[in-house]
Amino acid sequence: MQDRLFRDILPRVSKPIRYTGNELNVIKKNWESSRVKMVFAFPDVYEVGMSHIGGRILYGLINETTDHLLERSFAPWPDMEKLMREEGIPLYALESYRPLADFEVVGFSLQYELSATNILNMLDLAGIPVFSRERTDEDPLVLAGGPVAFNPEPFCDFFDMFMIGDGEEALPELLDEVERVRKLPRQEKLRQLAKVEGIYVPSLYKVAYDDDGSLASMEPLYPDVPRRVRKRIVANLDEAYYPDNPILPYMTVVHDRAVLEVMRGCQRGCRFCHAGMVYRPVREKSVETLQRQARAQLENTGYEEVSLASLSTLDYTGVDQLVKGLIEEHGSKGVGVALPSLRVDAFSIDLANEVQKVRKTTLTLAPEAGTQRLRDVINKNVTQEQLYDAVKAAFQSGWRAVKLYFMIGLPTETQEDLDGILQLLEEVKRIGNQYSRRSVEIRSSMACFVPKAHTPFQWQPQNSIEELQEKISYMTRFRRKGIKLSFHDSRVSFLEGIIARGDRRLGQVIYNAWKNGAIFDGWSEYFHFEHWQKALEESGLDPAFYVSRNRSYDELLPWDFIDSGVTKAYLRHENDKAQRGETTMDCRQEDCTGCGVCPSFEVEIDLRGGSERAHQS
Amino acid sequence: MRIRAEYSIGPELRFLSNLDTMHMMERALRRAKIPFALSEGFNPHIRLSMGTVLPVGLWGKKEYFDLELQQPMPPGELCEALNKVLPAGAHIVQAREIERNAPSLMKAVNCAAYGFILQMSQEEISRICQNILNAEKLLISSWGKKKGVDKDLRKGIYNIDIQPYEEFFCLMIWVGAGEPLNIRYDEIVDLLQQQGVPPQAILDVFREGNYIRIDEELYSPLER
Repeated sequence: MQDRLFRDILPRVSKPIRYTGNELNVIKKNWESSRVKMVFAFPDVYEVGMSHIGGRILYGLINETTDHLLERSFAPWPDMEKLMREEGIPLYALESYRPLADFEVVGFSLQYELSATNILNMLDLAGIPVFSRERTDEDPLVLAGGPVAFNPEPFCDFFDMFMIGDGEEALPELLDEVERVRKLPRQEKLRQLAKVEGIYVPSLYKVAYDDDGSLASMEPLYPDVPRRVRKRIVANLDEAYYPDNPILPYMTVVHDRAVLEVMRGCQRGCRFCHAGMVYRPVREKSVETLQRQARAQLENTGYEEVSLASLSTLDYTGVDQLVKGLIEEHGSKGVGVALPSLRVDAFSIDLANEVQKVRKTTLTLAPEAGTQRLRDVINKNVTQEQLYDAVKAAFQSGWRAVKLYFMIGLPTETQEDLDGILQLLEEVKRIGNQYSRRSVEIRSSMACFVPKAHTPFQWQPQNSIEELQEKISYMTRFRRKGIKLSFHDSRVSFLEGIIARGDRRLGQVIYNAWKNGAIFDGWSEYFHFEHWQKALEESGLDPAFYVSRNRSYDELLPWDFIDSGVTKAYLRHENDKAQRGETTMDCRQEDCTGCGVCPSFEVEIDLRGGSERAHQS
Repeated sequence: MRIRAEYSIGPELRFLSNLDTMHMMERALRRAKIPFALSEGFNPHIRLSMGTVLPVGLWGKKEYFDLELQQPMPPGELCEALNKVLPAGAHIVQAREIERNAPSLMKAVNCAAYGFILQMSQEEISRICQNILNAEKLLISSWGKKKGVDKDLRKGIYNIDIQPYEEFFCLMIWVGAGEPLNIRYDEIVDLLQQQGVPPQAILDVFREGNYIRIDEELYSPLER
């Protein structure tokens, strides 16, 4: 297999190094002596998948700390896929070059709604039936986890089970169980696996719909199947497994550096943010742990940069001490520190100045909305002054370009808010002209708001493609020298929106879209809206039902049975406050906001960075 | 201190691009804690310069890089330390100190040898070699910057030889590299096909080495 790939196949494809494996720090376990054989499948190309921290954690965790085995597989680029199909080469894992069908478990990472078609394509390339109901005892168990699995329903047709929440908690236990129930018939096996906390087996539930199309009921088929599926939580992140020996890819991957996860979760409470709701509560690592992990990773990889990852790294209470410590220890060896996301305030800029050894090219900030009113609605607790102070500090210390992220189509948005974005951009440009010696460039990227399950905005309607296009053409009329606007594709956001709050009936849409030729939908060069449009028509489902409708508080939502720890009452309260333009503070600074996660999971927010300074924003 | 090292890239690493190989070396230098020199400026990088680009898909027996050290280190120790941390398939063969002002690899190397392992009889291969050496002009469509323009390879072909290679024969060809005349390996492939080598007869291609050619004599970059 390997010989054939190297001789006949790989010389004919672009970037063949994607498909060879054998990187430094790869783990090749003995096939025969490993207990459960699982493959971690990432539904995008190698350089995207290898940048994902969750995959790095699970790979090390299973291979280093258990007797099970976890190999890797990624979506082949279309040129490689074509050759594989022509030459009859099944999708294989990079460690053993074995076909995916040889594994007992195939686990997909669901990071993005539109990666669905790539998943179907990978299963098909692997010779595994794409529909769960068509798989037999001989086929692998097909699993999915990751943030998108918090609303698993649109993907039910394709997965035998889902893993909800922190994978390092659930996966070792799940694999032990898979081994224990190995001899049972498939459906019986799945029924046993559904007892593992955090595991959802869709075929064990019966779903009924009302005449208006909304969900009427969702009932377990057997009394021993849980009515609600609770997410898993790593209670102590500081002591949790983290890989000291990550794989060092040969090719340049998207995030080609050592990565530290400084904390998990975020409690700023932005009302549009899915990750901010489902990954509660905040759990930090200590500065000592992070310094030790940085040292180990740098020694074992030789990377020239270490990045501090989390949902909001500047909120980590030890960020100042950690950054200074890392620079002191590794800076003289030419190792840099990267802060992937900056908070909108002057403290962030000061810290960024310290780590920015590279030329100060582009500073990225995310005010999200153009007026204070709308920022209050979404609970993005950033004031105009904070933003202008941050920008002023940046231009004064030599930055020459600023990139600003906004969303259009937010709940309650009016033309004033769109004008607000434009005025804000002009003001930032004016500050740049005043404080920078050279001409400055302002870039702004406008995403289309997509309401997500498990957030306070889960009941809100999403703007239609037409509404969004109108807003986009209104805004593009604005032209100023040195200010560039770019917009996300409103059709892509529309499809994301359908799946983000979809139900089981969408399985046929996803399947038909793939049959029509949809693949790599997240890549603009491969995105073809017509494949999806046709699939929607074929299904007879009304897309407006999923995206444009105002859902009532009484409605049973398809993802209600997934227990993220945050109560529906809290989400509802937050949605009500949003309508009144009231903000909610971060519970680390003020009182508990009553989201429900701590009492429900008997956990607490866990702050270990030590400094109070980073609390203030 | 300036070091020039000779290394090999095995068949398992044949799909690395030049940038990939450079990153692999830089990271190995860091893991091995080699006392490399860093460049000045905002974004310091290791003072490492790679020789001529090994095309993606080829493995190489004698490739070269130059490295500046901040503190002296015996070249033998450097080879040993790097070989401990390099992935299987990459190997430092030898290294030596060179003059601080010695010409760079890119300037010095002007000849490369490629080996084509062919599934053909010795007679067929030697006939092709003779044809090539006897030709006055060998026009092929250029793969380089002037893509599609006819290019005469003859002046850039210095020698051809046939050697036994396992149960097959290897056609070894020495060609111009860099300045003044650069012959790309894919141009040689075109030439061989033009001369009657069927594509499926080429079992493997590797770069045997890089040389400094002076008055028709070949020297290793470590000698000059």
